[in-house]
Amino acid sequence: MLSVLLKKIWQVLPVLVLVSLGSFFLLELVPGDPAATVLGPGASPAEYAAVRDRLGLNEPVVERYTSWVGGVATGDLGQSIFPPNRDVTDLITQRLPVTIEIALLSMILTLLIAIPLAMRTAYRPNDGLDRIATTGAFAALATPPFLAGLLFVFFAVFNPGIVKVGLLAVGVVLAYYLGVNALRRVRRCPPGPARTKAIMFGIAGLLVPLVIFGLLARYLPSFPRQGYARITDEGLRKNLKSVALPVFTLTLTECAVSLRILRRDLIDTLGEDFILAARAKGMPAWRILLKDALRPSLFSLITIMSVTLGRLIGGSVIVETIFNLPGMGRLMVESITSKDYPVVQACVLIIGVIYVLSSAFVDVAYNYLDPRVRRA
Amino acid sequence: MPDITVSTRPEPASPDVAGPLATELAAQVVDQTLPDVAPPELRQMRSYEIVAAAVAGVVSIYVGLAVLTSVTAEVRIALTVVGLLALFVAYRGLGRRLAGPEFRAGWWLAVAWLVLVVLSAVFADLLPFTEARNPSKTFSEPVLAPPDLLSRHPLGTDRQGLDILGGIAYGLRVSVTVGLGAVAIGMVVGGVIGTIAGYRRKAIDHVIELFTNSMLAFPPLVLLLGVAAVLERNTLNTTLALSVVAIPVYVRLARSTAIVVSQREFVTAARAIGAKDRHIIIRDIIPIVVRPVMAYGFVMIAALIVAEASLSFLGLGIPRPKPTLGNMISAGQSDFDRYPHLVFAPAIVLLITVLCLNQVGEYVQEKLSPKQAKI
Repeated sequence: MLSVLLKKIWQVLPVLVLVSLGSFFLLELVPGDPAATVLGPGASPAEYAAVRDRLGLNEPVVERYTSWVGGVATGDLGQSIFPPNRDVTDLITQRLPVTIEIALLSMILTLLIAIPLAMRTAYRPNDGLDRIATTGAFAALATPPFLAGLLFVFFAVFNPGIVKVGLLAVGVVLAYYLGVNALRRVRRCPPGPARTKAIMFGIAGLLVPLVIFGLLARYLPSFPRQGYARITDEGLRKNLKSVALPVFTLTLTECAVSLRILRRDLIDTLGEDFILAARAKGMPAWRILLKDALRPSLFSLITIMSVTLGRLIGGSVIVETIFNLPGMGRLMVESITSKDYPVVQACVLIIGVIYVLSSAFVDVAYNYLDPRVRRA
Repeated sequence: MPDITVSTRPEPASPDVAGPLATELAAQVVDQTLPDVAPPELRQMRSYEIVAAAVAGVVSIYVGLAVLTSVTAEVRIALTVVGLLALFVAYRGLGRRLAGPEFRAGWWLAVAWLVLVVLSAVFADLLPFTEARNPSKTFSEPVLAPPDLLSRHPLGTDRQGLDILGGIAYGLRVSVTVGLGAVAIGMVVGGVIGTIAGYRRKAIDHVIELFTNSMLAFPPLVLLLGVAAVLERNTLNTTLALSVVAIPVYVRLARSTAIVVSQREFVTAARAIGAKDRHIIIRDIIPIVVRPVMAYGFVMIAALIVAEASLSFLGLGIPRPKPTLGNMISAGQSDFDRYPHLVFAPAIVLLITVLCLNQVGEYVQEKLSPKQAKI
């Protein structure tokens, strides 16, 4: 285990160095004189000299890089070049929690939706519900995140009536496939306790989705069009409401990806002999899916976790812009628009480092979880 | 051994029958559940059904778009959608009659849409659109006209009187240029670098892998934003920025294939008879590497078109008034509760295009590399 960790660190270090070089030399890619680009036409020589000084353009490149990296190592990311010239570190520590909250909530929600849905669709592939879910996932994958965000705004903020009808429709569809179809299969059960149990399950499958989605439609909160409510200022409820639509937007794509991957792996696993053995022993379906099939099917999902994280960070740039949330993504877009290069560099660097470290962490965790990889 | 045939069946048994008695019933259980997994039945449509569906579709669309002009938009949209569905059913029925039950209705529609997209991108200048790019020429045009298929502005106009349909055509030109260009650059540059790395291994491979890993260390959109931050905003630079995203992906793809191919016997044989590395790479390895690289093309184009649209949407791509799908959507979003067509017209076109590219892309991937797992 330790050797795996050391090897990983050995692999990650040069990448981190290159990431820092890449973020730093972003400024060198600016065509012409960066200071002139920042100021635009009509600036006085004094302003020009001040900006050149702030960007450190008067020193040689190597010196600038070493002092920048030295600053980064001690937590000093420089200062914004525009008044009030705030410390970039402050800006980022203020903005980062918002982005992390959105990304984490999306990931949790994705797993909560994708895992049960994948288990159900993999258990009965090619039935109606499976086809609806697969088609839906295909459509969701084709929806760019900014479009999904606008759709959520259009329906949830401006036309909540349509959302209520939609929620009820989802409830009816689920009740049909989980309840009505299960009740139809009851006659195949041998009479006795097994049949009673099957009838109970069928009725539960009929009622639970109807009740859940009915309640959701009844108590659908009104979401704000934009803005962020800090948890310390306005409490958890308002905070969750303000991030709900951004989180749903990101979840839509992630759900589709996770559903497709997990469903395929589950179908493969369910064809294995040990599942047949479990079934022959008389294990109930939920137990087979949850205890036997799920664990060996999770590995592809874990492998793509780092890719997922990258998409979530990229997506957060977009949802933060649409919903006007004060996160890292919007900080980056704002500083690109205003050509505040030190802030852009810092954002790129921080996101790159977070991404590299978390992918490395996923790799190590994967080693730990999968005995086949561990022994190899 | 009946058990073996049972166990190779991919479909599991019904969950409800697994009870205490199931041990004895296992074999029957599987037999009983077989009807569950039978493929959906295909019934040939009769001629009159096809004609009826087609007529119903045309009438429904016509009534929805042209007759009921005074009814609310929801009813008209619903009628149009129903009409389109009816037309699709008729078209699928006709296809199955002519080409047999294996007819891939959705696939051919996707291909047709992509052809339409490319044609309208190429011939946008020749098509009779009203002005869609220059706001100084639209003083006499109506502003914020609602969509009306039979008027001069079939999809309406925006705040500056620019035609939406024309804007979509020019926007598609940008999408197609940027998507095809960036994927072509990515394929050639990334493919060659990856092939060399995978064939030569050793030091050069390590260096290339390090660079690839570092480029993939940024989430794609962030990498794109970083590049876009410093470059001037025009079509060429957007293409270059997108190819920066595409190259490392293709390096990985080509490298992994090249590593496998380099260990095959015919490569060893070629080396044994003294063929030069350059010769081996060009004659033996690249022809094989090309297949997975090409197979990934359509999906990659779709991803890059979305990336370009996202960039324009954020205001960091090609700026207004030159129309792209992304900046049209962005321009329309400020009050799209009142003028939803400003957002939805370009958005639906973008959505359908990406959907079609994905559909065609998955099919091509299946055909070209049957072993490669798709996500």
